[in-house]
Amino acid sequence: MIPPNSYLYEMVRSELSWVVGDDHVQTGDSDKLGHSIDYYWVPEVWHDRGQKLPPPDFVVYPASAREVSEILKIANTHNIPVIPWGGGSGSQGGALPIYGGIVMDMKRMNKVLNIDPISMTATAETGINTQHLEWAIEKAGYSTMHFPASIACATLGGFIANRGTGVLSTKYGKIEDMVMTLEVVTPTGEIINTLPVPRHASGPDLTQLFLGSEGTLGVVTKATIKIHPIPESRKFHAFLFKTMHEAMVAGSKIMTSRLRPCVIRLYDEPETAKLIKRVLGIDKKGAYLVFGFDGPAKIVDLELEQACAICREKEHEDLGTEMGQAWWDHRYKFFYPPYMFHLPQAFGTLDTVATFANIEKVYWAMKNVVRENFPQAAFIGHFSHWYEWGCMLYARFIIEAPPQDPREAVALYNKIWDMAIRAAIKEGGVINEHHGVGLKLGRIMKELYGPAFKVLEDIKKTLDPNNIMNPGKMGFPSKGI
Amino acid sequence: MHIDKHLDVIAACRFCFMCRHLDPVGNVTFQESDTPRGRALILDTIRMKNESLKNRDFIATIYRCALSGANRCHCVSHYDEVGLVLAARKDIVEAGLAPENVKALAEKLSRATFTVRGKGNVLYYGDHPELYSGCKTLSGGDPGKALETLGFAGDSQKVFDRFKSAVTASKCTTLIVAEPSAYDFLKDKLDGIKVVHCSEHLLSGKWKARPVRKAFYLESDFLKNYDGNPAASRELLARCGYSLMPFGTNSEESYSVGEGAVVFDELDPELCEKLCRRVYDLADNLKTALFITPSRYVKATLAKYNSQIRIVSLEEAVAQRKDRK
Ligand SMILES: Cc1cc2nc3c(=O)[nH]c(=O)nc-3n(C[C@H](O)[C@H](O)[C@H](O)COP(=O)(O)OP(=O)(O)OC[C@H]3O[C@@H](n4cnc5c(N)ncnc54)[C@H](O)[C@@H]3O)c2cc1C
Ligand code: SF4
Repeated sequence: MIPPNSYLYEMVRSELSWVVGDDHVQTGDSDKLGHSIDYYWVPEVWHDRGQKLPPPDFVVYPASAREVSEILKIANTHNIPVIPWGGGSGSQGGALPIYGGIVMDMKRMNKVLNIDPISMTATAETGINTQHLEWAIEKAGYSTMHFPASIACATLGGFIANRGTGVLSTKYGKIEDMVMTLEVVTPTGEIINTLPVPRHASGPDLTQLFLGSEGTLGVVTKATIKIHPIPESRKFHAFLFKTMHEAMVAGSKIMTSRLRPCVIRLYDEPETAKLIKRVLGIDKKGAYLVFGFDGPAKIVDLELEQACAICREKEHEDLGTEMGQAWWDHRYKFFYPPYMFHLPQAFGTLDTVATFANIEKVYWAMKNVVRENFPQAAFIGHFSHWYEWGCMLYARFIIEAPPQDPREAVALYNKIWDMAIRAAIKEGGVINEHHGVGLKLGRIMKELYGPAFKVLEDIKKTLDPNNIMNPGKMGFPSKGI
Repeated sequence: MHIDKHLDVIAACRFCFMCRHLDPVGNVTFQESDTPRGRALILDTIRMKNESLKNRDFIATIYRCALSGANRCHCVSHYDEVGLVLAARKDIVEAGLAPENVKALAEKLSRATFTVRGKGNVLYYGDHPELYSGCKTLSGGDPGKALETLGFAGDSQKVFDRFKSAVTASKCTTLIVAEPSAYDFLKDKLDGIKVVHCSEHLLSGKWKARPVRKAFYLESDFLKNYDGNPAASRELLARCGYSLMPFGTNSEESYSVGEGAVVFDELDPELCEKLCRRVYDLADNLKTALFITPSRYVKATLAKYNSQIRIVSLEEAVAQRKDRK
């Protein structure tokens, strides 16, 4: 942190103002407060218990890649951390200014630059709110098909930085499948473009290097993404199975038979009892499985029937299209207060991904570790994003009354993460599937990657010799406290 | 403190990002503090540490809010984040901490007086008496809503009392209110007189069939997001031959440039201009299209920062086709 009443502070402020204008360098308490808390539980509890949060020294709002570049050059000169900030909706503390410095809020870069109806792509600045992006694309008659629960909270750049995903990922892919090409400002201020198409044999894919880099390797300023026609038909169907395992067998068979649902979601028994009842009003015992197909009406009907036939092979309760549609209609409701978990509860989304051969082992490993070591924590989960080879587990732990002392509460919280994620890795899972690593899980990166982490570290050192870009995140070195 | 009556809202909004895309101010300043989450975080800080109410930056943020109601409407649980901001403004005013420009504006608004003219048992309060033959007219300033939104509850009450005296003295049985902010303020506040929005009254007339004219309809924050989105205004315009097209890319955002804060343009013209620029930018054909808004405030404000926009109020749109049967 630069002492606010020092002349160095004023020097840096003047330099930043010269680049973006006085109005776009904020140093007031209101904005500093808003930028010291993202969607990570730790800063929330810290604030709730009246503790001081590390604020940024400056919040800067660039309007172009050139301005981003100038800001990064200033930061290199003074060796100040720069933390890109999109919507602040990341759950891993990735956008937190833990060492002060410059929070680079990207939301002013919010233009849709081009819609190409021939190739079905759209190019936008990355600070655009994804709901605004979707609305703009819909107005032109298409859709991004990117429908995360945080569509209204987050920016395109945030999803790119975190390898985020939307509910229709099973057909339309995660953000890394949606992106064609990126414009990136590297930590030293060069403005570069990755290759214009995502399929090529022209060397390793730089686009994929920046996808998931969480603001540690540069600032993504522009992206071209695929867009899609609005489907003629989209239909859902839901089933209830006695156990999660039976539902998993049905779900994985739908995927391995190479049907192409746009979405499958399977809730374990406790989450069916808790959340499906509370949000959708479906009060049933068992595991709730919902899936949907979209596209030309005839194909949708055919695929839906095939998927239903797979589900009917096992003992089941057919909940019909209505209870499937209800899930789609209320898919975001889970995330609004008071439906979403909230303080005083302690809660965390232990999301991971594994092959079908491993995913249930991962689930049980996590669940057992939480149950055995933290009897005060409940464990619920659903399987959200499905691939030809496996699926994602969106597990959650919830503690109704965590310790009042914030240090104790955070220590307990961290311990659950440490044990649960390590248990998942042992069974073939990874640290995370679509929320990223951030501050929360950086400490486990070396274990996950093994010797391969050195490759990432070397890339970081080469691109960011002064370690100004989002230090202390994703397992990369800190800036010193 | 007044904010203590809204602890449920503080608790819900302080860590919630779900409606940030709809905050009209956040969408032009891009500041985290200009969202329901940002403001709830500030007010949570003040809740925990009352002396933070004195923080000038916090106060400025609270007065930068456009009180649009779009966020509350969108929220599945409809948390009253507008009510929370209004409570905070009351706390600021009662603590003697209102900024100078706010005080000066309040002082001006407090001087409002009201006059009734004409004959009849229906009283019209608006700018287009020519549409209401046989009605008395009531003129004067804002009936107290603007002061209420600035946090001056006592002064608002005094102005309202003067307004009420004028209404009572008129002995009318129906009050027709044109400006949506005033309608919102008065609709449940006056006993012994029926309060209707001008569109409801005009709709009761008979209208000649007219050639269709296309227009973009800019919803009123008050009618849409505060008062349950009554259909009368749109029906009336349809009867007058207007084919209304929704504006912008979606039906959730508010394009009413600070109408919810009633005197927003006087309070913060620079910010208000930014709100207007967003509307101009979203228009595909600003120079040629016709825009209709139920609000005189919205019309005047959008016309102020771009002389090319063709915008009329609901009553003007009706007046242009006023040859009723
Ligand atoms: C209610 C709720 C529901 C959610 N549901 C989903 C969901 O369905 N799917 C999902 O994937 N996620 C979900 N999330 C998590 C969150 O929305 C995503 O992680 C999202 O990608 C964060 O985007 P953001 O713009 O808010 O980024 P931030 O939180 O601001 O930043 C996240 C990271 O990205 C970096 N960053 C931001 N912009 C840039 C840029 N332009 N260039 C380089 N780095 C950048 C930051 O430094 C930080 O490391 C949810 C969050 C909430 C609050
Ligand atoms: S109004 Fe509702 S959606 Fe908006 S921040 Fe508050 S709780 Fe969230």
